[in-house]
Amino acid sequence: MPDPVSESAIELPELNPVIHGKLRLALLSLLSTVEEAEFTWLRAKTNSTDGNLGAQLLKLEEAGYVEVEKKFVLRKPQTLYRMTQSGRQALTEYVQALKQLLGAAING
Amino acid sequence: MNTNQDAQELAKQELTARLSLIETMIAEGRQTTESWGWTFVLWGVAYYVAIAWSTWGHSNFAWPVTMIGTSILTAVVATRMSSKHPETTMGRAIGAIWMAIGAALFIFCLSASIAGRIDLQTFIAAVGAMLGAANAASSIILKWGAQFMCALVWWVAAAISCFASASQSSIVFLAAIFLCQIVFGGYMMLSEARERKSPEEKSGAAHA
Repeated sequence: MPDPVSESAIELPELNPVIHGKLRLALLSLLSTVEEAEFTWLRAKTNSTDGNLGAQLLKLEEAGYVEVEKKFVLRKPQTLYRMTQSGRQALTEYVQALKQLLGAAING
Repeated sequence: MNTNQDAQELAKQELTARLSLIETMIAEGRQTTESWGWTFVLWGVAYYVAIAWSTWGHSNFAWPVTMIGTSILTAVVATRMSSKHPETTMGRAIGAIWMAIGAALFIFCLSASIAGRIDLQTFIAAVGAMLGAANAASSIILKWGAQFMCALVWWVAAAISCFASASQSSIVFLAAIFLCQIVFGGYMMLSEARERKSPEEKSGAAHA
């Protein structure tokens, strides 16, 4: 007779704390759909303030999930952000973990 | 027990909210509707100007000057417009098709008009076949039936001009320009405007 699967026997994944923050999660999700995005576009899409957006992007940059490029276009400064390979990997793992946790919550 | 259930319910709600946030943001990112309808109309008008200039003005410079002028105008306006929108992989794929076909068309039209050795029917057949290829590739990426119809119109025009007389080919070419550049460009501009107002209405005009 097989042992019943107890809740404690299920290995539930932990959610990546760098991505779990709402604004950081929103930023990574947005960046996953585009090649690169300007700071102002990210600000408009997330309805966030310059300070908060800059701080969250810096955290993502420090974690190696986004990379930044500053350049001039038509003599205007432009700050571009793009998702790195490890950022994409981290987001994928986060979504998988989220689905697993939700599945466990629904079944439990 | 109740407290434990409440905590579980809260955690479940938070996780669902996170998943929903990801979906919403991905949808937001893909709603980057680029505006390209104007280029179809602009190039349609440019073809008419070049045809009229070369026919009534009897100038060998008609096609090269019109094509170079329109290329510069397109590049300047597109650069200004694209700086507002981030580039998507799909947008880059479509851009690559049009840039490659555009360069091929430019080299062919320039060489053919200067050399003057190609008859009108061959010229129309080559231009029609190339424009058909660009529209077909773009429509397959965008899954947009209306643009594939344009590809078919260009290919039919190319095929007809291989068999028809010079005057018949000219009429077919003018009609194809009107349908695939002016009418389709206008329709694309309307679709883009509609999608900007209500993003949930999606057509191929939205370059994801």
